[in-house]
Amino acid sequence: MSIPAFLLRRTGSLLLVLLVTSFVVFGLMYLAPGSPLSFVLGPRGGTPEQIARVTEQYHLDDPFFVRYFAWLGDIVQGQLGDSIVYRQGVSDLIGGRIGTTVALIALAVIIIAIVGIGLGLLASLRGGWTDQIVTTLATLGLATPTFVIGVALISLFAVGLGWFPTNGSGGGGIDTLWHLALPAVALSVASAAYLARITRASVLEEEGREHVQTAVARGLRSSLIVRRHVLRNALIPITTVMGLTIATLIAGAVVVENVFALDGLGSLLVRAILQRDFAVVQAVILVLVVAFVVINAIVDFLYTLIDPRIQLGSTR
Amino acid sequence: MSQRSLTLVGVAAVAALTLSACAGGGSASGGGGGGNALDVDLSSLATTTEPGTQPVAEVTWNLPYEPLSLDPMLTFNYAENTVDANLCEGLTRITPDLGIENALAESVETPDDTTYVYTLRAGTTFWDGTPVTADDVVYSLGRQVGAESATYWADYFQNVASVEKTGDMQVTVKMTQPDALFAQGMSSAAGAIVSKAAAEAAGEQFGTPQGGLMCTGPFQLDSWEPGKAITLVRNEAYWDQNLIPKVEKLSFSFIADESTAVNALRSGDVDGQFFYLPPAGLSQLQNSDATITFGESYIFWSLRAIQPEGTFSNPKVREALLAAIDQQAISEVVFQGASIPSPVLTGPAYYADDEAGALFQEAFDSYEVKPDIEKAKALLAEVGDVSEPIVLGVQGSSAVHEQTASLIQAAGQAIGLTIETKVIPVEQFGNLYFDETAREGLDGFFTTYYGNVTDPLDVYTTFMPDSSNNFIGYDGAAQELTEARQTLDPVERAEYTIAAQEKITRDLPWLPMGDLPVILVQNNAISGATASSAYLGYPWAATIGGVE
Repeated sequence: MSIPAFLLRRTGSLLLVLLVTSFVVFGLMYLAPGSPLSFVLGPRGGTPEQIARVTEQYHLDDPFFVRYFAWLGDIVQGQLGDSIVYRQGVSDLIGGRIGTTVALIALAVIIIAIVGIGLGLLASLRGGWTDQIVTTLATLGLATPTFVIGVALISLFAVGLGWFPTNGSGGGGIDTLWHLALPAVALSVASAAYLARITRASVLEEEGREHVQTAVARGLRSSLIVRRHVLRNALIPITTVMGLTIATLIAGAVVVENVFALDGLGSLLVRAILQRDFAVVQAVILVLVVAFVVINAIVDFLYTLIDPRIQLGSTR
Repeated sequence: MSQRSLTLVGVAAVAALTLSACAGGGSASGGGGGGNALDVDLSSLATTTEPGTQPVAEVTWNLPYEPLSLDPMLTFNYAENTVDANLCEGLTRITPDLGIENALAESVETPDDTTYVYTLRAGTTFWDGTPVTADDVVYSLGRQVGAESATYWADYFQNVASVEKTGDMQVTVKMTQPDALFAQGMSSAAGAIVSKAAAEAAGEQFGTPQGGLMCTGPFQLDSWEPGKAITLVRNEAYWDQNLIPKVEKLSFSFIADESTAVNALRSGDVDGQFFYLPPAGLSQLQNSDATITFGESYIFWSLRAIQPEGTFSNPKVREALLAAIDQQAISEVVFQGASIPSPVLTGPAYYADDEAGALFQEAFDSYEVKPDIEKAKALLAEVGDVSEPIVLGVQGSSAVHEQTASLIQAAGQAIGLTIETKVIPVEQFGNLYFDETAREGLDGFFTTYYGNVTDPLDVYTTFMPDSSNNFIGYDGAAQELTEARQTLDPVERAEYTIAAQEKITRDLPWLPMGDLPVILVQNNAISGATASSAYLGYPWAATIGGVE
């Protein structure tokens, strides 16, 4: 499949997924009990006149389909709508926070890639005690909840040693990197552990393959064998896992953003859901779905680079 | 009338609990015992802290959640008011010792029982340099009058007939009937004066990150980065020479997770915070570079009855349950020693230092707070069938809620009442106040609450039959409350209020569970923040300075 055709097909399915997702999310929000009114009217609850005025203003009493299609119409015109609770445009709310989440996830992905693949290679190539230690560490990393790791990191490195800040996302550049270091580590532990195990397994599998044995028999340098014959083939499962990992990181970020008090999309989404802030929930979910689909497309594209025999858009 | 829920505090308390167990390492010692009672002298609570003397470039203060708006008309909860108290001020303002003094008004006159004449102080300006005029005052107060107004402070404006400019520097407020709470309420954010021009230009956006704010306080709003920080800078042109800040920049963070907040305070990433309930990790702060001050407070802990039917709807049952509850135990077990048993909803912080206050104190002293199981059993015996269980709503992931509920369950068991709990997620808890269907299946729930001025009537008006917080439509003291509100003489008003208090304390639409001091934490490098409940209306950061 050519690249334009691939992009076209992916965009089409993205739009379909977005439509279905938005409908499901809107429906679930609509069915769930509670109302944004308590936040709009403030803690006192408001007089009957105020309740009526706000209900009218935000069309809270309109039937489901009227509200859904009104929202859909706005989206088509590029309007994400307004947050009822914060009295601000949703695009402003998201715009201010997306950078933090993207930076956090990017940093975590780098850590996961380096540590996960590194440890996996180390374990599979060295074997013996090294393998034992890495496997044990990976099991521990997989079993420990993210927030426990976050809290432990704060206690040790932020409060105890004072090397890192306890919270916040910093003022940009190096400062942000410094602020996001601990959260990114907390976020990456489980995924790095998983990736290490996958890498170890797939490298071991490739090592046993015929063409690798042949290469060994031909007396090629072992570094060349690893790079050209083992790693190249092992990269397919590793890439798949990396792609899926990034998607799960988006969910993991919710916890980490809370523990480290980061101003990201995850914490925004959680609050918006609990406050019944329809427009914000919808918009953040759409952003996450787009990110998910785009990452998947990139992974598919990477397959073709790693192994030219795989065709773009094929279902291998 | 104000109902301050804990709804907005998004807290992962699991993390908080875990942390209190594992983060105490290092130098923190002596934490081995079971109870981590705080060292609090509840008989002498602070109103101020030693003013810092040195200039400070920047102070970072934490809020329990991000404010929803900074428009004073829409600020009605902890985080919003903590920020706004430094930004916006009214004609009068509350003082650290919980009195009232003139602010933007030079004088306030009351020619008759339904007229207030405010004469503006000359030479006060908004942050942009424009002078505060009578038009701004008329606009700021006038926009809160009438049922259509969006204000959260409608209760103070319910009897206002008109707000008019009666001179270049004079504004006259006319009431439809005498109202003792109006003039007092104007010392809270309800009376804050905003720039008419700025508010009209910003429209609905006024007080949001996009719309900005324009007031006259000792700090001015510099920026609000949604999700991240609100930054204030010193207002060099502030009119009150005694309150010109020594802090150049005051920035607020929004750490909702209590354990993260405590850690930020321990490590010095955050310089201070006000807590309204003891956080689980508070004892960890005792061995750190931060100082904890317990302040005079309007806040109290209570259990509300919310249904017109069922076992708990019977005042005798409530009286029996209260008689069986050990408030001292609640203080020690639930609040780490930081709550004060109180037989009535409005404890001594609400009593002024005058004749009326003495009357309230006398009434307060006439009650007992000691548990009396025999009396409780005798009361229940009069009721008859109490087999139907009482269901209490408990806020999820709140140790304070859950522990109080278990103590009350035990008290109920001791006298033959079946008490069940139902956990409600923290963010849905707010719906209980507003949505009748959310209260279905519950007989009561816990809540903190506070009035805004030193007058018990401010709290007790909640028990007017038409009050939006009076879910059971309790009307047992309506007559006395109406009379009290119409009585401007403080002593006479105290007599009516005490009569109302007598009935409310007998019928117990809300059960008093103890008074909660303000918990002020300041880094040792700074000092001077206001320690009392006045921090929600007085520029509490203006007196902060560096300590050598």
